[in-house]
Amino acid sequence: MEWFLEPFALGFQQRALAGGALAGLMASVVGTWLVLRGMSFFGDAFVHGVVPGIAAAVVLDINPVIGAALAALFMVIAIEVVHRNTTLSEDTSIGLLFVGMLALGVMIISRLDSYSGSLTTILFGDALGITTVDLITQAILAIIIIAATTLFYRPLLALSFNKEKAQIWGLSPNRAHAALLVLIAAAVIGSFQSVGTLLVFGLLVGPPAAAALISRTVPRMMVTSAVIALFSVWIGLTLSYHLGTAGSATMALTPIVIFFLVLAIKQLKPRTKEPVLVDA
Amino acid sequence: MPDAVIASDVVIARGQRIALDTSSFQIPRGKITAIIGPNGSGKSTILHAIAGLIPIDSGTISVLGSDPDKSQKSIAYVLQYAAVPAGTPLTVAEAVQMGRYSTLGAFRRPTRADREKVAAAMAHLDITDLAKRHLAELSGGQRQRVYVAQGIAQDHALLLLDEPLTGLDLNSAKTIDAIIHDEPNRGCSVVLTTHDLEEAKAADYVILTAGRVVACGTPEQVLTAVNLTNAYGLGALHVRDEAAALFPTEHHHGPDGH
Repeated sequence: MEWFLEPFALGFQQRALAGGALAGLMASVVGTWLVLRGMSFFGDAFVHGVVPGIAAAVVLDINPVIGAALAALFMVIAIEVVHRNTTLSEDTSIGLLFVGMLALGVMIISRLDSYSGSLTTILFGDALGITTVDLITQAILAIIIIAATTLFYRPLLALSFNKEKAQIWGLSPNRAHAALLVLIAAAVIGSFQSVGTLLVFGLLVGPPAAAALISRTVPRMMVTSAVIALFSVWIGLTLSYHLGTAGSATMALTPIVIFFLVLAIKQLKPRTKEPVLVDA
Repeated sequence: MPDAVIASDVVIARGQRIALDTSSFQIPRGKITAIIGPNGSGKSTILHAIAGLIPIDSGTISVLGSDPDKSQKSIAYVLQYAAVPAGTPLTVAEAVQMGRYSTLGAFRRPTRADREKVAAAMAHLDITDLAKRHLAELSGGQRQRVYVAQGIAQDHALLLLDEPLTGLDLNSAKTIDAIIHDEPNRGCSVVLTTHDLEEAKAADYVILTAGRVVACGTPEQVLTAVNLTNAYGLGALHVRDEAAALFPTEHHHGPDGH
């Protein structure tokens, strides 16, 4: 028992656990829609796209959350501009912005004397440096995200099912898409301080993907995803303490390991129902 | 009774390509209308325009007496089953319940009447016993039945179906075909796209398209060897034989079908 409790004996360790748990909760709920809509690459690009905003905020000594929010807004607008004004696929415009924004972020942060330390903190977070104010901010964002997801459940579900059907049903798919982008931005902004921009993606995609393997409905997928995320944060921090590894990286790796474990168990488990992919 | 759809000199571009060149047609109310034509001839474009999902570049189109986007709440649109990914974790019952979204909106809770309409739609499509199954566990024919049930669970005056019977097993095709032919008895108009001459022949009204509407009218008026050869081009050598078999006494009709 002591093996599990020891890593969280001190205040900063408890704050790391709480911060990671809130990050995991936000990312897994939003990530469910991201995975269902096949927007994982967008999510990957998005978490890197906020780097120049955070870097500029560090250089200018302003709140990194403001910088991240402005960079997220620019990223979304730029992807739409490239996509709408060229024949290039959205995939290409996301890729262009992904590389461009990450490179810009590294360029900006490289002007600092503590270049490598600042960059590492942005990309990999500083779970053990989370303050009470950070936790309050995260908690507020988590409440907003969960409330918005509940409120916009039908429009988001209809959008995931089929955009044209969503429009016919009067559920404004474009507005639902915009709302989803705002939720992704909120989850990333609320999570990067604890797990870093690079590893937020692990919590955005890992738990929902693992949950998708064993869930029959979207609400169950969301709950399962949240449970996997919370477990990953807890076990990740515990393992990092005992193994002496980076906390955020261990947290982000855990749901990916869980995904492959679930997949392996599903593959090994004998099928209980006869195949039904034959027209009755 | 006014027509369900009235289109005059409609032109629709999709990107840089003209998907439907200047076309005029009517779709009668309370009847089954089949839109037939080769691949890329504008069949789905016409359905999308009627549903108000794509804008028209010129001309006018009136659906149920108003602009298409204003009529959307009265339109049920069943897409091809292959166009809807089955990966969303939904049970059959949940997927059919989504048909009530146009009435319930984003927030209103379903009433007993909503639940009864969902149950009736599932019973009509013979999928009640599949209610708890996941969409990904179904065959193509079963999924198409789910999507048609979703369509008829919606309050509608106009039912649009994009190739509803293509690639289905006989059982599913017969079930869906029976639903389509029952819709006019419930006061609804039906518009479907098809590649199948037999299916078009069974409709009350036919629109033949080949990048523009070539002919419209009753099956006997439209499905003539001349019209079909015009629509399908020189490659459609068997069309003449098929049309002759369908309508032994051939009537030649031009773009108006008269």
